[in-house]
Amino acid sequence: MFKKLFLGDTKIDFYKIGNIFYKIFIVEIILFSTVLVLTFTNILEMNLSVDFTGGTTYQLETEYSTDDINDVMNSKILEVSRYQTFDNSSSIIFRATESTSDKEAEFLTYLSTKFNISDSKIEFQRVGPTFGDEITEKGLRALIIFLSFIVILITYRYEFKFSIIALIALIHDLLLCLSVYLLLNLEITPSTVIALLTILGYSLYDTVILFDKLNDSKKINKQNNINVETLNNTFNAVLMRSINTSITSVIPIASILFIGNYLGLSGALTDFALPLFIGILSGTYSSIFVTIPFLSKIIKR
Amino acid sequence: MKNIIKIFLLPLIAFGLFYYTVALDIKPKLGLDLQGGISVILTAPEDTEEELLIKAVEIMRTRIEAFGDVQEPEISISGDRSVLVQLPGVTDQNKAIEALGTTGLLTFRPVLDSSLNTGYSPAFEYSPNPDDPDNPIKTVPAGVDDLVGISLDDNPSTISYLLGVNSGFPVIYELGPAALTGNDISDAIAVYPDNEWIVSLELNSESESKFTNLTKELASKSGDQRKIAIVLDGEVVSAPGIAFDVDPNVGITGGTAAISMGNADAGESANNLAVILRYGALPVAFERSSIQKVSATLGENTLNLGLQAGVFGLIIVSTLLLLYYRLLGLIAIFGLSSFGFLFYSVISLLGKFQGYTLTLAGIAGAIVSIGLAADSYIVTFEKFKDELKIGRSFEFAANKAVQDAWKTILIADFVSVSAAFLLYILAIGPIRGFALALGLATTFDLLFTRIYTRNSVPLISNFSKNPRMCFPITNKDLQDV
Repeated sequence: MFKKLFLGDTKIDFYKIGNIFYKIFIVEIILFSTVLVLTFTNILEMNLSVDFTGGTTYQLETEYSTDDINDVMNSKILEVSRYQTFDNSSSIIFRATESTSDKEAEFLTYLSTKFNISDSKIEFQRVGPTFGDEITEKGLRALIIFLSFIVILITYRYEFKFSIIALIALIHDLLLCLSVYLLLNLEITPSTVIALLTILGYSLYDTVILFDKLNDSKKINKQNNINVETLNNTFNAVLMRSINTSITSVIPIASILFIGNYLGLSGALTDFALPLFIGILSGTYSSIFVTIPFLSKIIKR
Repeated sequence: MKNIIKIFLLPLIAFGLFYYTVALDIKPKLGLDLQGGISVILTAPEDTEEELLIKAVEIMRTRIEAFGDVQEPEISISGDRSVLVQLPGVTDQNKAIEALGTTGLLTFRPVLDSSLNTGYSPAFEYSPNPDDPDNPIKTVPAGVDDLVGISLDDNPSTISYLLGVNSGFPVIYELGPAALTGNDISDAIAVYPDNEWIVSLELNSESESKFTNLTKELASKSGDQRKIAIVLDGEVVSAPGIAFDVDPNVGITGGTAAISMGNADAGESANNLAVILRYGALPVAFERSSIQKVSATLGENTLNLGLQAGVFGLIIVSTLLLLYYRLLGLIAIFGLSSFGFLFYSVISLLGKFQGYTLTLAGIAGAIVSIGLAADSYIVTFEKFKDELKIGRSFEFAANKAVQDAWKTILIADFVSVSAAFLLYILAIGPIRGFALALGLATTFDLLFTRIYTRNSVPLISNFSKNPRMCFPITNKDLQDV
């Protein structure tokens, strides 16, 4: 069995299973849309970091009890909207909505007396709401230009239909990642946005390599259009590369997650690693199993 | 022989550069998030002219330098109207933010005396020394540096001794308490009406009388004492004298004044003075959009995490490559480690010579690129296997594989490089660091694929023609297909 996989000689009928994965794809899209609708109707909360909402965060490392946290949450100095604690470290993060700098300084002093630590030991961050907007705006602009560029590139190199399939796979990966974030109520930071942009690149890279292989097979068999046999052979042959590549890409990222978790560190680097981890797995899946049903539809029997 | 040179070209460059950076002790310039410090993003109002932003950045830079214990402050314009200030190693955030955010203290103070008159700082007072007539006794008022004779702190409410520049020469002024501040000015503009640059000054209506009283008093005096010093953040930026036609009984009235700046060459200094008078220190009223403080320990932890994760990931990836691709795995591992050394050296050199700072986002980009680089080897090796499968000879299959793989990797990497390029051009702040790291790594990957992999993989047939040495499959498996 492994030998067949190693040889790329598995005899999976991708054309046939295209239908099954088409159904899975539809189910996924329904799930993603449900999550999005729930978010827009405010049933699910979108956990945006202070960079997007504006406000202040205070991170400190101290011994604390539930009462302490309640005290802080009910303190009248600032409107503390949220707090975050960690299982394997003694850090707490408090998040407050925007206020005057006097109030913010007062709150800092309050925390330092409350938990009896020097105020220079408290990580303090203040962000105006414009900053997050700017990142999002520029990110979206980059995204749209990039996607149009990709459509042109794939159309030029392969076929227009291919570029649409690549986009579908891409959107699938982004939606999957976003849904995981929304469902688990994970914090969305600028790092997350960067990671999502990377996933874009990765997902496309994977899909392009597959298309290239498909194109090669077509040329070798001197066909004008891809037929079922070519499709099946190509996907069987390319399976091992996909598995090996995703393993080698995921391992460095997984090691950030696991070492970070082991050391009790949570921060910007793990903010990157999580969406990348989800995205690379999803990218590998989508490059084969999301493209297959659509490729099956466009080829001639 | 030619092939051997090509194979070792990139590894040699990589190890050479690495040796060079280590020998000269050049290390990557760490971003704030990796070494701790304060990062502030200031945003100017919409449609602020770029020229004003540049001016504000210059002013902030001098202020931060005056501030002392900052290692390498980095102040740069980012985007259309944001200024990114990074103060690595600074822990006193209140002081730092004060130095940046406030519009600065602008005061108008009567000149009492100056070193133009005395020849030395007017703070010094010399009295004859009865024991040694050649060395008179020097007395220095409290709060004044006893070597240069300049006040240590600019206190506008008492007499101070401050430095200024007059026609290119440093002058120390003795100044009385401040009579007016920057808040009393409503507008200032540089004009060139009649072969002479003039800064025209307009006062708030409630400050008119203060200014009239000051000028009345000064007009009755002579020499240095007719001058008004315009002081910004403890430095005399200009000390115009009251014109001789001002009546000491009337002073300057009407709430306006004109400062003559000299002939046609004085345009720049007139403009600068007008800007200072108009805006105080910073020509732009900034909004503090973001203040971020990272403690040194947090930064260090993150850096260590990144490094550990990177090394750990590389070890596992190498082990897998070796187990699966065997001899070919060795080629990949040697290539990947050269790639790693090259990347580290170039990042260090870019930090040293181009001021590129390695941030967390950059490290993430680098870690992602390990996956991309490893993939290029996998693509090549798998093509090799495919060629063997259809019955090609070892030599032919290896040569065909590296050529075909190059085409695939070229287009796939091209997608990555263009993604990185677009991100770099369009995005701001941390995203750019990420894009640069990714773009750089992908470019290196292309170079390695084209020069290193392409020439080393075909050499495999010199060592062994048994597929077992390259894949977990045997000759028999290949024949069975």
